[in-house]
Amino acid sequence: MRGLLHRLSLGFALAGGALLGLVVLITTANAGAFILDRIARLAGGNVAALPGYEEFVALTTGCAAILFLPWCQSRRGHVAVDVLVARVPAAFNRALGRLWAALTSAVAAALAWAMLNGLWSLRADGAITAVLGWPVWPFLAPAVAALGLWSAVAAAQVLGPDAGGARE
Amino acid sequence: MIDPVSIGVAGLGVLVALILLRMPVAIAMIAVGVGGTWILSLMVPHVRFWPYLRQFKTLLWENAASYELSVVPLFVLMGYIAAESRLSSDLFRGLEALLSGRRGGVAMAAVGACGAFGAVSGSSLATAATMGRVALPELDRQGYDPRLATGALAAGGTLGILIPPSVALVLYAIIVEGSILEMFRAAIVPGILAMAGFVAVVAVLVRLDPALAPPARPMPAAERRAALRRLVPVLCIFGAIIGGLGFGLFTPTPAASVGVFLIAGWGFWLRARGEGGLDLAGLGRAVRASAVTTGMIYLILFGAEVLRGFFARAGLPQAISEWAGASGLDPMLVLIVMLALLIVLGCFMESLAMILVVVPFFWPTLVALNGGEGVTASAAAFGMTNDELRIWFGILMLAVVELGLITPPVGLNVFIIAQLATQVPMATVFRGVLPFVAAEIARVGLILGAPILVLGLPRLMGG
Repeated sequence: MRGLLHRLSLGFALAGGALLGLVVLITTANAGAFILDRIARLAGGNVAALPGYEEFVALTTGCAAILFLPWCQSRRGHVAVDVLVARVPAAFNRALGRLWAALTSAVAAALAWAMLNGLWSLRADGAITAVLGWPVWPFLAPAVAALGLWSAVAAAQVLGPDAGGARE
Repeated sequence: MIDPVSIGVAGLGVLVALILLRMPVAIAMIAVGVGGTWILSLMVPHVRFWPYLRQFKTLLWENAASYELSVVPLFVLMGYIAAESRLSSDLFRGLEALLSGRRGGVAMAAVGACGAFGAVSGSSLATAATMGRVALPELDRQGYDPRLATGALAAGGTLGILIPPSVALVLYAIIVEGSILEMFRAAIVPGILAMAGFVAVVAVLVRLDPALAPPARPMPAAERRAALRRLVPVLCIFGAIIGGLGFGLFTPTPAASVGVFLIAGWGFWLRARGEGGLDLAGLGRAVRASAVTTGMIYLILFGAEVLRGFFARAGLPQAISEWAGASGLDPMLVLIVMLALLIVLGCFMESLAMILVVVPFFWPTLVALNGGEGVTASAAAFGMTNDELRIWFGILMLAVVELGLITPPVGLNVFIIAQLATQVPMATVFRGVLPFVAAEIARVGLILGAPILVLGLPRLMGG
């Protein structure tokens, strides 16, 4: 089960990376168009930038960032401070680790539920982006799945043998 | 009925306690934010809990899907791709070719390469680890004293936090709602000062104790030409990113994207020519590492937003503002205490995480001490507007964060270098880093005493 969650988290992270790659290509093309436009203006011409570029970047990086959350949890990447508990017995550390993993799982599940409701509301309202006119809700669908997976990964860490351990 | 401000203060106490009990910082912020608002709703008639909870349907999405924030994952990805490409060794070898003609030159080249690489990496620990792997074997082979070799690399690794474009500067600007470009401009002089300071430390040390470095051994001409040839494209890539930002061709998000595009493109080109560079496995490692860092940053930013909502409902920022105004505390003393606290925290926390955690608390307090929102420079306690205070404090803070990373007994960069230099005892690394710590303290004092070093360039370039 943990292996499956690990692989799924990695798949989500790589999908997020692919989205970022798309953002890099679109943004570089847009920046190139901007520079060409400056040059073309000297000769009285112009080169159009990509319409709705900022909307696309915001939606895509937002989606990518949320897709990264399960992998971040899987690698115990969410920052925590080791000042005090480094000196307490290992059993207490493990218990704390399990408790925080359980709380993280609950928070992630609550956020997934809330975002699912948000998705339905946006869909029902027919919310679209201002320039591109794209519906917003499809971008939330993978994000909801990622939040659910994040919750499952944290739940598996509650039961796992390395609860409370150092970052992987 | 309990005063809302008292609930806010209690919430702050609970937050600190939970963080000290190693609860993930972002989860602690969310838990205290939501829990505190629920308690407030029981005590204060105008705070209603269910309408507040309904915001969460889109709160995370609205926070994440922000164009302004999109620069963060892109700069993070750029740093990790640079670490996976051959940029670090090309930088080091190129600078070594330029400086190997003088005693201590290879250590100076290591410091310079750390500064340049750190600018794109943004993470001091990653810079120390990457440049340590590249430069330590060469310093060892040439017979540099381990004290100088490890000290220079541990100190040089810290440069990435400040030299623009850096993720730390971007994050700070986002949290305090300042201009990323102005922060970049403000960091140029302090960044150059830091690098020059470290190079000067190497020069002084080898002059005082020539046994620390072997006699100058200029690189053979053919090797030198090859190293310089490889340095040129790296400098062009860095120049395109920094120059594009400086000349207003790009805003930060396009600059980061173009940076990723150029560095990855160059890395793949080198690989295609069979000269090392970037392969798909390296790209995968960079994406995985970026996912961890980006996930961490976004979640803390979301946690800070939830917490801010609770504190605002409790009236805590206004209360702190009124208290700071009436306390009669010397603002400069409070600032120095904050900086000292950052040095202590730097012993335990990664620099980006530390910035994300402390700035939301420190910045409003400083604004209050300065005289509140909209204060003029002549009436302000620090003698500058809040816009300038934002820039000055940001640079001071990052300089101090750098210092914390090499301050004994637990500077994180020192541990990274000690792990790489397995033959060198930890005590030797700490002894080696001490002269660089002194240079850093001098620089922080200089910036503290002469804010013009930070504010001069933004004023000049901003008109």
